[in-house]
Amino acid sequence: MRQKTLGKLFPYLLILPSLIILAGVVFYPIAASLLRSFQLEEGGWGLDNYIYFFTDPIQRRNILYTLQIVIVTVVLAIGISYFLAIYLRFSNSWASRMIGRLYLLPRFIPGLVAVNGMITVIRDSGLINRISRLLGMNLQLGLMYNGKGIVLMNLWFNIPFATMLMAAALSKIPDSTIEAARDAGAERFRILRQMILPLTYRDLFVAATFVFMSNISSFTTPYLMDGNNPQMMGISLYTQFNNGHYEKAAALSVIMFLFSVLSAAVYVYTNMKENEWEKGNG
Amino acid sequence: MERKVKLQITGMEKKYKNGDGVENINIDVYEGEFVTMLGPSGCGKSTILRTLGGFLDIDKGDILIDGESVKDLPPEKRPTAMVFQSYNLWPHMTVYENLAFGLEIKKVPKNEIKSEVERGLKLVNMTGYEKKYPGQLSGGQQQRIAIARALLLKPSVLLLDEPFSALDAKIRAQMREELKRIQEELNITVVFVTHDQEEAMALSHRIVVMNKGFIEQIGTPTEIYDHPATRFVASFIGEMNFLTKQDGSSVAVRPEDVTITRGEVQGQLSGDVRTIMVLGHFVEVNVEVENRQVIKTYVARNVADQLHMKDRVSLSFAKTFQYCA
Repeated sequence: MRQKTLGKLFPYLLILPSLIILAGVVFYPIAASLLRSFQLEEGGWGLDNYIYFFTDPIQRRNILYTLQIVIVTVVLAIGISYFLAIYLRFSNSWASRMIGRLYLLPRFIPGLVAVNGMITVIRDSGLINRISRLLGMNLQLGLMYNGKGIVLMNLWFNIPFATMLMAAALSKIPDSTIEAARDAGAERFRILRQMILPLTYRDLFVAATFVFMSNISSFTTPYLMDGNNPQMMGISLYTQFNNGHYEKAAALSVIMFLFSVLSAAVYVYTNMKENEWEKGNG
Repeated sequence: MERKVKLQITGMEKKYKNGDGVENINIDVYEGEFVTMLGPSGCGKSTILRTLGGFLDIDKGDILIDGESVKDLPPEKRPTAMVFQSYNLWPHMTVYENLAFGLEIKKVPKNEIKSEVERGLKLVNMTGYEKKYPGQLSGGQQQRIAIARALLLKPSVLLLDEPFSALDAKIRAQMREELKRIQEELNITVVFVTHDQEEAMALSHRIVVMNKGFIEQIGTPTEIYDHPATRFVASFIGEMNFLTKQDGSSVAVRPEDVTITRGEVQGQLSGDVRTIMVLGHFVEVNVEVENRQVIKTYVARNVADQLHMKDRVSLSFAKTFQYCA
């Protein structure tokens, strides 16, 4: 009898250590932050910390600015990755094979190194500027200390990742699907619209949510490249924290978390939703 | 009556980077003819079919359909329609949408598309399946729809690339019979690719036997069976015994052309019965002759009943073929 109870408990015993660690470093801080976000600096409880971020003009601007940068990043990264992946999937040229081998390379370069490298190239006195001066021009890109440079950097980090996801999705389309469409008289654009897109739109959403989530809370890139105002939410959080506004910092963390949850919901929804044609034999 | 050449392949060559491919391909296919490319895998039969459909460019020669060169046209501009081995149908479209796709591109009016699709489904005995998705159909049903879809494009030449090879034997035989019926009903010109010689024999008006990128023989099924031009054709089509002689040349004989007599007969090849296998209405008897060579024979049941293992027997051949070393 005792043997049996022990046998039932044994699997739980095995996961207990990791559960304790998770509770200590993940669950507890989350719960503590959540609790703290409702505490007021002057004592007592309330929603004031949240209200502050949506009513204070500077804070509201920070949130909108962050969303703007993230959405531009998502649209550009997914758009570019999709066409890059289509090119890699359907072209068998020398260039396509070369890109196919190299496109993941940016993922292997440490983020901080990449950002600093990019700065030395694009800043107004950077490599591009110096080359342009050799040619008698004085090209000032104006990409630093504003959102443009951040978007550029985000593309560097996200295109390889999104391309990888899209390439996996496209590789599931058999050649004969495309060939049969061409055989029926379909031109490139129609094949894209009526074959490739319907067969991969879900993976597009998945890639978009991943890019959204990883950029909404970005810190390193804006910290090194952005101006002082407006700030992205990650920097804003850092400022609140450094100035001792722990309750406000906690509230902002929760807000950022909610944005991620929102995109995670899109991810879960697109994954759960089965198309009529995928249901198979009933 | 002069028959019209529908498809003409002249001096065609297609080489891949690794040196494989086909060369010196000359084939004329007449209107309403069912021609099969037959050969082992890697012989180039699919390569030829794909060049006809426009999925591969050719290096030399020309391809004419209805007298016009199509070698520079992309697949979407060629008057051909292809049925692939598998994954033919677009999984995200219903049967109706699959069939209507090509007609919509041709800007056929809606009501006409509807009646065309109905006609197509009726032709392949799939009426009532309009709203199903490919994933809800069996493999055989999917291939029927694929054939209907290709036919609705009203191609000058219908191309089929081993369309039944992924189906099980029973469905395959059924599909074969049905394809034959449709082809005769519509009098459509068909180029069919298979590695299954039985399928080729059953379906074709003429067979193109291929090996290693070359055409070994072109002829009707009976011509190819009764007069195999090369040793390869002899071994590939039907069952064939090869008896190697001292000088390296060989004599070939089909199992059904061998007559067995008990005991030794003057001037006949003799040997010992090795195995006796009843295969239904006839019996396969294998006889071991000189130099451990084994001759396969098909004999009637009443003859086989007289034979036992290790019996001494004599063999006479009704018809033989000679091949050089």
